[in-house]
Amino acid sequence: MPPIPAPLADDLFLAAHDSVHGRCLLSPAILGLGLGGAVLAELVLGQRLDVRGDHLALLDDRPTGDVASAAVLGHIIRDADRGVRDWIAYLGGGIAPDLVGRRLARTGQVRRLARRSFFGTKLITEPVDSVASGRPGTRVRVAAERREPLPRTDLTLAGLIFATGLDQYALATVGTAGRKHLLDLLRRRLPEPLQRLLGHAEAAVGEAVLARRA
Amino acid sequence: MPYTPAAAAPLHVSAALARDRLGVAAVVFFVMSAAAPLTVVAGVVPTGLAVTGLTAMPIAFLAVALVLAVFSVGYVAMARHIANAGAFYAYIARGLGRPLGVGAAWVALAAYNSFQVAAYGGFGAIAAPLLAGWTGAELPWWLIALVAWALTAVLGVRDVAVNGRVLATLLVAEVVLVVVFGAADLTTAGFRPAPAALDPAQLTGAGAGALLVMAVTGFVGFEQSVVFSEESRDPRRTVPRATYVAIALIAGLYAFASWAMVSAAGTGAVARAAAEGPELFFVLAADRLGTVAVHLGHALFLTSLIAAMISFHNIISRYAFALGREGVLPRAFGRTVPATGAPKNGSLVQSAFGLAVIVAYAVLGGDPLVQLFFWGGTAGGLGVLLLITVTSAAVIAYFARRARLENVWRRLLAPSAATVLLAGMTTLTIRHLATVLGVAPTSPLTWALPGAYLMLTGLGVAWALTLRRTRPAVYEGIGRGARSSRIFTFGFDATGAGR
Repeated sequence: MPPIPAPLADDLFLAAHDSVHGRCLLSPAILGLGLGGAVLAELVLGQRLDVRGDHLALLDDRPTGDVASAAVLGHIIRDADRGVRDWIAYLGGGIAPDLVGRRLARTGQVRRLARRSFFGTKLITEPVDSVASGRPGTRVRVAAERREPLPRTDLTLAGLIFATGLDQYALATVGTAGRKHLLDLLRRRLPEPLQRLLGHAEAAVGEAVLARRA
Repeated sequence: MPYTPAAAAPLHVSAALARDRLGVAAVVFFVMSAAAPLTVVAGVVPTGLAVTGLTAMPIAFLAVALVLAVFSVGYVAMARHIANAGAFYAYIARGLGRPLGVGAAWVALAAYNSFQVAAYGGFGAIAAPLLAGWTGAELPWWLIALVAWALTAVLGVRDVAVNGRVLATLLVAEVVLVVVFGAADLTTAGFRPAPAALDPAQLTGAGAGALLVMAVTGFVGFEQSVVFSEESRDPRRTVPRATYVAIALIAGLYAFASWAMVSAAGTGAVARAAAEGPELFFVLAADRLGTVAVHLGHALFLTSLIAAMISFHNIISRYAFALGREGVLPRAFGRTVPATGAPKNGSLVQSAFGLAVIVAYAVLGGDPLVQLFFWGGTAGGLGVLLLITVTSAAVIAYFARRARLENVWRRLLAPSAATVLLAGMTTLTIRHLATVLGVAPTSPLTWALPGAYLMLTGLGVAWALTLRRTRPAVYEGIGRGARSSRIFTFGFDATGAGR
């Protein structure tokens, strides 16, 4: 059984935050859909799940070593007959952000604080170290600039950066050729189940925009 | 491990998804705020009286409501099976072929943009005298229109949820005001129930085309209910119910208010509408309610126009977004503002177009009330009427190949009846376009307007055929909206992935 790779959703969370002020660059709804897709991608990368067309297929129901992905796997085992889009919507509605936020808090990469305002109290999760939090985005950006290959997890991260529209920030300094390089890698190097998953995540974000709840 | 995931509480997936989705009331709210009731009652109704010389506006609203309700039977049924259900062109692409779909997309962009610029002109023209009365400052209409334009442009790229809350608050205030003013009309001294206002026979004369297209204008926005086909608690119930409820509420509100207005104005209703314009609605009720109520009414009239602007702006930018995702428009239109989820470039280009029209009218000295608000609104109304008619035919064609999906009433009988009725309304409107626009029968506008829509359709068809030759993957994805992937070349089947 291969080990679960470095948590992809954590990387997406960090890449989605402004490395100077720690502000989230995505709307809560889009961040949620991205993280929902990312946690599912972790399970695909860890060979627990397969994506067949519009549905998830369970390959291996043994728990992962990690609490967040294990919790999501538990959900999927209990309610297997659901479409990918339902899972992304379900996880994105608060479960994935919460699980990922807690996972990052346990490793000390984010702090969670209650911010009080006129309208009530809001729980905010923000990166602790701006240098460390900038790394995932930088890895993708550097690979694009140098036209280098990316390991599978980081390539999936690049796909999620495109799917959520985060590329407008994360790849702002990358020229057309660099972006093309990444898209080319995604199309040629990424296994089909992950391509499908990214396509579903991208569609989920787009439809949220059309339905005015992004 | 001192860690308990919040998700450990076994909340059932379906229940969790349903909790986040919309109910009937939320969808009705959304649809009605796009319809901007006070703009229609105070702005469109007196204009309709003045232009047609007929007092049959109330029955026209009821008749159009009936036709739209029959149309909606097939429309909401098809919405369950396709992607990008909020856009007419998606239905037409799936039912009557992709080339006509792209033609319809161009027509829709033109029609909604024409409502949008109409609202700018109307706002400037109507606000100018009101502001002069309130503050004594004589401002040119275009300056006021530019302020409204700037507000719309900013809200267009800002948080969408804020827009929704603003619109909902304004809507409630508007509806209350229309009901109260209408009720006040009933108690005025000159009130005599006007039988002609409710006589269906009035809908067959030369002015009928004008009445009907103006009534259609009043309902525009109802078609947006299906945007929530995938977002509603129960797609088979929520959206259909919300659509019928919204049509019924809008029709009831408009018919009551216009009937009360016509009855209170008495035999001189047409002449007074021509002389007083949008003021008629407020002046009639002023007898009973006093000047404070009238000032409040004026203020809400202006906010209602702003609400209409915001709604149309959001519709247009999302059309552009869906077309950009598909690759039918440049892909840059498929971009959003990540922090707000607003369709960035669609919004910016719409704003640029609005600015250009306001500036052009200001420089060339066009009349903002007649040549922008009225002509723009009527042109938009005709465009949407054309789109609804073709969409209705597309519903029949779509289900003709998929008879198992819906029962015969939803897939054939209702859409057929609606198509015949809508085609009749469209024919009446185009034949009497001079009356509709209030111009001489020889005016070039009478052929330029339908000609423009025909040309846009032709250009759209030609563009689709070019795409089929040069970029077949893009052609395949026409009508798929956000389900067309920007990253990968595959698209998703439109039948609601995972449901």
